[in-house]
Amino acid sequence: MKTERPITIAITAMGGQGGGVLADWIVGLGQNNGYLAQSTSVPGVAQRTGATIYYVEFFPKEAAKKAKRDPILAMMPVPGDVDIVIASEMMEAGRALMRGFVTGRTTLIASTHRVYTISEKEPLGDGRQDPDAVMALATKTAGRFIAFDMDAAANATGSFISSVLFGALAGSEALPFPRPAYEKIIKQSGKAVEANLRGFALGFANSTGSAPAKANAPAPAATPPAPVIAPLMARLGDDFSPACHDMLRHGLKRVVDFQDPAYGTLYLDRMAAVYELDKAYSGARRRWRLTRDVARYLALKMAYEDTVRVADLKTRASRFARFAKEVGAKDDQIITITEFMHPRVEELCDILPAPLGRFVLRSSGAKAFLGLFFGKGRRIETTSLRGFLLLSMISALKPLRRSSLRFGIETTRITDWLDSITRTAPVNYALACELAGLQRLLKGYGDTYDRGMKNYATITEALGTFADMKNVHKHVKTLKESALKDEDGLALKAALEKLQNGRTT
Amino acid sequence: MAERSFAKEVQKLKLGKGETFHGEGILAVTKALLQAGVSYVGGYQGAPISHLMDVLSDAEPILNDLGVHFETSASEAAAAAMLAASVNYPLRGAVTWKSTVGTNVASDALASVASSGVMGGALIIVGEDYGEGSSIMQERSHPFAMKSQIWLLDPRPNLTSITQMVEKGFELSEASNTPVMLELRIRACHVSGSFTAKDNVSPTFTLAEAMENPVRDYGRVVLPPSNFVHEVEKVEKRWPAAVSYIKKHRLNEFLGGSTGDVGIIVQGGLYNTLMRAMQLAGLADNFGRTDIPIYCLNVTYPMIEDEVRGFCADKRAVLMVEEGQPEYIEQVLNTILRQADLQTRIVGKEILPRAGEYTGQVLRDGLQAFFAAHAPGKIKGAKPDQSLEAKTQKQLVQNVPPRPVGFCTGCPERPVFTAMKLIQRELGDFHVSCDIGCHLFSILPPFNIGNTTMGYGLGWSGASAFNTAAGKRTISIMGDGGFWHNGLTSGVGGAVFNQNDNVLVIIDNGYSAATGGQDLLSSRAQNTNRITGQPIERAVRGLGVNWVRPVNTYDLGKMVNTLREALTTDVKGPKIILAQSECMLNKQRRDKPLERKAIQDGQRTVKTRFGVDADTCTGDHACIRLSGCPSLTIADNPDPLREDPVTRVNNDCVGCGVCGEIAHAAILCPSFYRAEILHNPTRWDRARAAVRHGVISFLQGRADKKRTRYSFGEAS
Repeated sequence: MKTERPITIAITAMGGQGGGVLADWIVGLGQNNGYLAQSTSVPGVAQRTGATIYYVEFFPKEAAKKAKRDPILAMMPVPGDVDIVIASEMMEAGRALMRGFVTGRTTLIASTHRVYTISEKEPLGDGRQDPDAVMALATKTAGRFIAFDMDAAANATGSFISSVLFGALAGSEALPFPRPAYEKIIKQSGKAVEANLRGFALGFANSTGSAPAKANAPAPAATPPAPVIAPLMARLGDDFSPACHDMLRHGLKRVVDFQDPAYGTLYLDRMAAVYELDKAYSGARRRWRLTRDVARYLALKMAYEDTVRVADLKTRASRFARFAKEVGAKDDQIITITEFMHPRVEELCDILPAPLGRFVLRSSGAKAFLGLFFGKGRRIETTSLRGFLLLSMISALKPLRRSSLRFGIETTRITDWLDSITRTAPVNYALACELAGLQRLLKGYGDTYDRGMKNYATITEALGTFADMKNVHKHVKTLKESALKDEDGLALKAALEKLQNGRTT
Repeated sequence: MAERSFAKEVQKLKLGKGETFHGEGILAVTKALLQAGVSYVGGYQGAPISHLMDVLSDAEPILNDLGVHFETSASEAAAAAMLAASVNYPLRGAVTWKSTVGTNVASDALASVASSGVMGGALIIVGEDYGEGSSIMQERSHPFAMKSQIWLLDPRPNLTSITQMVEKGFELSEASNTPVMLELRIRACHVSGSFTAKDNVSPTFTLAEAMENPVRDYGRVVLPPSNFVHEVEKVEKRWPAAVSYIKKHRLNEFLGGSTGDVGIIVQGGLYNTLMRAMQLAGLADNFGRTDIPIYCLNVTYPMIEDEVRGFCADKRAVLMVEEGQPEYIEQVLNTILRQADLQTRIVGKEILPRAGEYTGQVLRDGLQAFFAAHAPGKIKGAKPDQSLEAKTQKQLVQNVPPRPVGFCTGCPERPVFTAMKLIQRELGDFHVSCDIGCHLFSILPPFNIGNTTMGYGLGWSGASAFNTAAGKRTISIMGDGGFWHNGLTSGVGGAVFNQNDNVLVIIDNGYSAATGGQDLLSSRAQNTNRITGQPIERAVRGLGVNWVRPVNTYDLGKMVNTLREALTTDVKGPKIILAQSECMLNKQRRDKPLERKAIQDGQRTVKTRFGVDADTCTGDHACIRLSGCPSLTIADNPDPLREDPVTRVNNDCVGCGVCGEIAHAAILCPSFYRAEILHNPTRWDRARAAVRHGVISFLQGRADKKRTRYSFGEAS
């Protein structure tokens, strides 16, 4: 029995993204243009930021009149029977694919931007899923695939993603309606009409490829390094293989910015030793992996985050400009910026001269006394004179840093770390690289940094017990990755147990 | 005011005879109630019928004009008890709630009104929250109808059928002196469509008339001996009356072909899904025309025995499409056929899944199996395989992360659970008894707090067994919605009476938020038709709770300290923390337009939002693990030396300030900043800013110059 079949449209969105608005627009669009339209949705808690779905069906009024009957329209999409799928985010497009809504008959309209899920945001490392994989599958599966960053388009036009999606739908010509029919609906809705029309227009343009190409900023003119820096750069260029230059340059820049050119020299001295090691153990064949890895983490270790560093960063002009851009402030507006800081006595001692710092940490009395001033979080307004001058003064302590407690501690840590690498490289190059990479665990401040240190210690200690195992470097990598999974160290614990069992059985 | 306003839509309720109504299923039901001359309507909100309550409260002026009373019932039990008005008087009444949870709550009063029997039509509209998007235990309303002998309507999901069934439901109720339950599945409640309207009718007999001329009939009271008489009445009088009405008015439909030795019996509510599946299988067209006989049950209880016998008599096999379990209808069918000694094979759960929603795909597969076994050749060719190739499916599963629900951006409930996570780090884990409401999202990442949830308002009762001496106290959660629904008595009253020594956190956000932001007794919002502003603190103190601490939820430090005190104090007796802050969803809905206008009108306005300084953020995401705010997200690390993504605050930030509070309370990092953007600054503002800017940029200029001494230059 063949008759006119309905046009079926599924919208997969996240709660609060305006999927309902879009569904209403589409229904109105059909009703205005000779179709019977029905929409259904699954409301409830799904609308609280969760993944949710709206479903619309069109049926030509003419066909219904001819048959003198109402069509029976479905309440939900059936896999393989969906003509248009509109996804407001890339992984939601993936979800539509999983549910079988996207097939050869389907025009898939999806925004390529990501709204990361909590499972992607939670890990201590990088828990992000790969949208390219989903893109590839969508391209392979969908009859037509229209995709661009609709979130960016919405922001650019000060509108909402729903209007951009509606524009993309119009541009796709997957529905037999002209552009004005769409714009009419937006006007009829009477809500934020101007903004929605702007979003619609850009969505339309992007989906038809008629959007004006963005002119990319001209590359900054080449300028020579400052006199005191030139020799460092020269040494970098002469003494190291080009394969390492990028990373070394970044590292050098960081440590000089952290302290001074002399500190940069120290960095290069340390790196030179590593490079020699690398050379001795055929680093050339390994694209100087050891040198590059150490270059990265040595810079981060040498330019550790102390209060002086933080104060320095927070008083820079570049930063003020960046914030204004980030929060989207216009020139005729005044921004006030308040920093949330919580320096503890420990952080204070870090920047005190070593003996003094050690004394304070040991004497409970002094600690308690200072605790009165460093017990609670501070809100410092860096756009006010008071706040700015306070931080400027702290950053002015930079020259004293070399005699500070923390500097001494970090120097020892660096020496130990480099020693372990020097010891390991000759016997196991890959493991040496992994030991360098372990520094990835060390980040943050206060408790966060301490947790990192704890995990670092756990792994390096455990290493003693399985150093002789095959593929030991792989094991270290696994342990590092599991340490970055959860903050309670459950994954790390499990991985260690697995390793121990692996050797007992 | 509720999350969604129907102020515009309710005008459709005024449509008259012959006009076409376009709109949502729920709104259509409301219109049908008015067309049926209903006298009173009550209910309790909850998806999928929240909109019905919202529509009614927005429609109150229209209702008043018609002389219809609308009661925002305190609970489903209260709503069900309201039907008592139809026992002694010819008053038509309707009540509504989310099912099965609401029906569970209502069942006491439902059983009573079903025993008493009704004179005026009594309609119970239940929104069946079953299948996709459901947030409750997966059960059926069907057995409630069976156990109390309430007739159950399950109309085809199109507005014409649904609205007709509302009208017929009242007539059926009156014809059989029995309450009638109208079951609407979640999608039917929100289906958009149209039907031809009729004029609204004012009740012929008014509530006032009843109050002024009370009628008493001992025979209608559930007490011996009447209760025994009621049972006999049910089987000897009301049941036969219902059956004859249902037959006479053809409430069930015989659709499709009239001959053939196989047929299908389907619940009305599943008819559209079945027809789509049949159309895909080439058994029907899009108008539902098919030569397969279909018996569509718009009434799923009681079953009309001779209709069933008539339909089955000439068939070898019949497919029974009945969603959910147990398969009550299938069982009754078999009983009827056995008693009639008919050999027709009833095929139901043996090929259709016992559990889960009957989607188009499920029914398509079911048809394939049924016809293959009982009418081979009916379906031409094999079913086209729509499933993705295993490899693709596997890749998707690996790459598409689940997206669970969570607290909204800036939600005032978030910091409560941040505080609980922090206090658990300090004092160890606690047994946490949860309730129903947005706060139940605390069981999900990143908080993972919560052991059980026993029902609306039952948060504290759910921990009442742990009312004994122990090294740790228990924490219970209750929303203001659940508190007024029954938690006030079942939880707080019970705790006082039983000398409970544990802790209750009441989330006092001013609305029944999860059900759509409806007002409550304790709402701070002004409501023209209701009394609000009755503080929960007074209520619990009135019950005899002496340890009560109101805390602004956004004050994280104070929340942590208060929790610590409650959990460790030597003070005996129940301890209640009132976590107070307005639901951000509702706050934004009210304030955003005002703010926008103020800025347009050139008024001095400060907009606050938060940000993360990528220079100092090291990408550990400890802040995210304590927040989970949608606007607190991650981005590529701009630092070429660091590998892990940094934290970033996106433009949805409403500046609630929780991230900053967290950075302080958990001593995280110095990366969070609050930016206050001043729109339309005054002259004084400009002057002050100019001075600051002057000095600061001078100093910054100097620092920059110093830095250029160390410039690396720019590689071309």
